[in-house]
Amino acid sequence: MTTPLITLDSIRQRYSDRTVLDIEHMEFSEGTITGLAGPNGSGKSTLLRMLAFLEPPAKGTINFLGRPASAKTSVTRQITLLVQEPYLLKRTVFANVAYGLRIRKKNDIPAKVTRALEVVGLDPAVFAKRQWFELSGGEVQRVALAARLVLKPKLLLMDEPTASLDAKSAELIHQAALSARDEYGAALVVASHDMGWLETVTDHIHYLENGRLVRTV
Amino acid sequence: MEYLLEGFRQGFLLLFSGDPEAYSAIWATVYASTLSMFCSLAIGVPLGFLLGYKEFPGKKVVRTIVDTLLSFPTVVIGLVVYAFLTRHGPLGGSGLLFTIPGMAIGQTLLGLPIIIAMTANAVESLDKRLPMTLITLGASSGQMMWATVLEARYSIMLAAMAAYGRIVSEVGISMMVGGNIKWHTRTITTAIALETGKGEFAVGIALGMVLLTVALLVNIGAAGLKKRAVQ
Repeated sequence: MTTPLITLDSIRQRYSDRTVLDIEHMEFSEGTITGLAGPNGSGKSTLLRMLAFLEPPAKGTINFLGRPASAKTSVTRQITLLVQEPYLLKRTVFANVAYGLRIRKKNDIPAKVTRALEVVGLDPAVFAKRQWFELSGGEVQRVALAARLVLKPKLLLMDEPTASLDAKSAELIHQAALSARDEYGAALVVASHDMGWLETVTDHIHYLENGRLVRTV
Repeated sequence: MEYLLEGFRQGFLLLFSGDPEAYSAIWATVYASTLSMFCSLAIGVPLGFLLGYKEFPGKKVVRTIVDTLLSFPTVVIGLVVYAFLTRHGPLGGSGLLFTIPGMAIGQTLLGLPIIIAMTANAVESLDKRLPMTLITLGASSGQMMWATVLEARYSIMLAAMAAYGRIVSEVGISMMVGGNIKWHTRTITTAIALETGKGEFAVGIALGMVLLTVALLVNIGAAGLKKRAVQ
């Protein structure tokens, strides 16, 4: 039996005196796509932020490949999160996509950036030199996804990635996200209200309510 | 009215004939302001960044002090620097009184609060999603700090322009610390004050036009940067 990529055990999170997340056990394996569904305020975004090590749990442990992990460990470089309204650095599209590679001192950056832009459906010849303020909402989302895909993360987290996009942009985001699993076996965890898409592509869907896991399909 | 027009005419003649006295004052201004801007930015940007980026006890008190220093009168700065640099002062042996580097010390003190306050504001007003974005892209804390400085770069350049505008147009520090010595520490502003006092409007107007041109260029640059800073 293979070790799950990331495992949550007895996770609790509280804001003030309100419990926002209460998960006994949850795990995500490489090469799988997991959907997170539930009404607003059910804890989906909190769970994703916790998986991205953006906020530590009040209680419980998070293991990455069987070892305890936290924001201070190097595993954070193997996990990335795309939110509904991502922020682009005040730089060109190329520099935005290349940022994560540069801080990792990777080689062959231009070719990798070009490939990532192609995966998200942006013509590198047209978009690479564009400034951050010259993009539409859908293009911003695709550049942000390219900036994450180019890092080849082991765990790609997506929080309502297509909620504010038109159908064409949403489809391109869907296709690009799936390529992360197909090309290098990333695990995807997607919070979305788009149940049609979740049911089509996910291996299973966790339904959350009031911070608790109520069922898995 | 006629003597004013004559002043303008002679002012243009002085500038375009390369009058050595006028250009000596222009050179002294450029030298002192460049030196003080370099020091203000080298000290002020890191301090302003820390003030805007980090949370620490007493931060509000520090902000209030910095904001108060924004309206520090130039003659008071001149007085303080003079007191330090004069023969009997703590730095009397440095020989900096009545020199351009001495003037630059005073002008640095004038520019610092502007750079610190505006840099801190720039960092504080950056998009709240920036830290999360940098973390999710794998940035270390040092890389996050550097990326944050770069994100605030247009606002920091705006701060530099505001400081430059204040430094290049001040009289009090240049007069008190520099001593308004001809061919040496006489700047555009001290020359204007002196020549006007002597009734020599032409030199005053010529140098005034140089200052106005600098102010115009600073404002044109600032307008472009403001647009970029908010995008």
